[in-house]
Amino acid sequence: MRILVVEDEPKVASFIRRALEEESYAVDVCIDGAGGLDWAQTINYDLIILDLMLPGLPGVEVLKRARAAGVKAPVMILTARSEVDQRVKGLDAGADDYLTKPFAIEELLARARALLRRAGGAPSGILQVDDVVLNPVTREVTRGDQRLEFTTKEYALMEYLMRNAGRVLTRSMIAEHVWDLDFDTFTNVIDVYISYLRNKIDKGRERSLIQTIRGSGYMMRSDG
Amino acid sequence: MNNTSIRVRLTLWYGSALALILLLFAVALYLVMSRALREQVDASLDDAAAVAIRTLGEHRFGPFLIFEDLSQDFPELALLDKFFQIFGPAGQVTIQSSNIQSREIPLSQTAFQASLRGESTFESVQFKKGVSLRLLSVPIRQGEQLVNILRVGTSLQSTDRMLRRLLVGLYIASPLALLVSLMGGWFLSGRALRPVHAITQAARRITAGDWSQRILTPHSNDEIGQLASTFNDMIGRLEVSFKQIRQFSADASHELRTPLTITKGETELALRRPRQAEDYRGVLESNLEEIDRMSRIVDELLFLSRADLGEIKLKMFPVQLDDLFREIHQQANLLGKERQVQTVLTRIEPVVVEGDDLRLRELLLNLVDNAVKYSQEGQTVELALAVVGDQVKIIVQDHGIGIAPENHARVFDRFYRTDDARAHAAKGTGLGLAICKWIVEVHHGTIELQSAVHGGSCFTVFLPLAAVPA
Repeated sequence: MRILVVEDEPKVASFIRRALEEESYAVDVCIDGAGGLDWAQTINYDLIILDLMLPGLPGVEVLKRARAAGVKAPVMILTARSEVDQRVKGLDAGADDYLTKPFAIEELLARARALLRRAGGAPSGILQVDDVVLNPVTREVTRGDQRLEFTTKEYALMEYLMRNAGRVLTRSMIAEHVWDLDFDTFTNVIDVYISYLRNKIDKGRERSLIQTIRGSGYMMRSDG
Repeated sequence: MNNTSIRVRLTLWYGSALALILLLFAVALYLVMSRALREQVDASLDDAAAVAIRTLGEHRFGPFLIFEDLSQDFPELALLDKFFQIFGPAGQVTIQSSNIQSREIPLSQTAFQASLRGESTFESVQFKKGVSLRLLSVPIRQGEQLVNILRVGTSLQSTDRMLRRLLVGLYIASPLALLVSLMGGWFLSGRALRPVHAITQAARRITAGDWSQRILTPHSNDEIGQLASTFNDMIGRLEVSFKQIRQFSADASHELRTPLTITKGETELALRRPRQAEDYRGVLESNLEEIDRMSRIVDELLFLSRADLGEIKLKMFPVQLDDLFREIHQQANLLGKERQVQTVLTRIEPVVVEGDDLRLRELLLNLVDNAVKYSQEGQTVELALAVVGDQVKIIVQDHGIGIAPENHARVFDRFYRTDDARAHAAKGTGLGLAICKWIVEVHHGTIELQSAVHGGSCFTVFLPLAAVPA
């Protein structure tokens, strides 16, 4: 899951980024409205966290233009003002949720999960493919009775594959949703991580849950 | 009676005054009328007596006539609505007109005594059956000798009736007039007080927080119209200051929310799981910075609100400004050391101003700190102090990010920071220049800004020279 954070206050942007990264999201931070709008239109983010008080282009304007340009990602607005009309303006401009500063970090993360869940179409939030079960809240993955341990990047890749089970995911799609802007697309990092995942979930089984689609990418699918 | 409405009170006052006037008028009218009628009756009695005496005189008053002869000879006497009596010198009735017939109307003692003295007498007599009479007794004398007493009388019935009618008329008309004018008064006072009601309503709505309320003033120059427009002006001023206060508290809370967001967020994040000692240290250092920022904002806010209330006492003494200026110059170089922003003194003259040296230091330090903060690395800041006429001119010039002309008026506003300033230096509070402006103003000076985006900013302060240079 890849998230764009548009926030001009460097320290706020920084701790939001760290918190999200600890939850194994890929995070890009942009410090002004115009840049944020640019990125939102270029990259297919899974969630955008947008501060309303931005230098240059104000947050509400960024939101309106992004929606007009067809950006469909869920947007959570951050506002320092508790006035109702600010939040109303933001929500009317196309935001899906809001959070008033100062906020609790757990609430930010929970709201982010909720927005991602709604966008992903799995109401309970628990993802399941075959007997592999992934809980995004606790970030626990089990196969049968066995609990599987992942690194943050592995987990992010796993979640992305499971959210899109049954769909063919190209390497560039995977790169876009799991890695951030620092990712170098010319390496075989994705293939390496896929093999890590296979080692962990398919250990001792004949067929892999993660299938390689020759020439395009990967797909996660239950065997049956 | 305190909670009785003005309308009721006005109407009552008006009604009481009117009732009093009506009463006086009625009494006066009655008195005048009854007096006029009485006089009229008396005059007619006089006339009748004169006619009778003349007639009798033609007959030489004797020998004692009987009325029938008299009325035959003078039929006009019988036609009058009066009766006649002629008394002998001892007061006994000798002859009387037929229209009183057998009735006894004896001569009163007073009239008899007056007749003896040769005087005429008017009397009013009330008879048993309610008929009141007006009587005139005239002595008829031959020389000193009282021969007869002529009495002419008439009934007061018609006069009384007329007066009674008048009284009845007054009894009915006065309360009616009072009632009608009370209603009129009630209506008129209601009309006159309607704008007051409108003002009350508007004021009531305003307490609900709707500052757009105004009172309509169609006829704007009467007392109520003036009240309404004064009230409207007041609402207007209140609306402006209310908005300013709201803006100010919104800005203040925003400025405080940012460091709060950072300290809360960083601390919560750090506590989510065990971390390295250096991570904790980083969080604590960052939080300390934010706490410092918050205390600076709070201090400056407190300063400004005390300044607004006039609670800041200034100790005005002659201040050797050039000494202070050199000190600030050194501090500015320390401030700019890290980013290689050099501060140069382009001009300095010995100058004494009357002022509070602590506040003047604060003013200069704020300006110089801003100049250094908004300079790019390696740029210079120029300071100058010169005497121009009877004023001191202080110039603080930087070559940094500058301020767009449309924002010049607002940089002295509390919490106002341009987007560039926010992006450039997160450490500002947005209150420094507001404080500078206050300090300049309490020293009876002015502060000006020349600046353009990326063209640097130049703050010029003018302060009056001390009256007699030491």
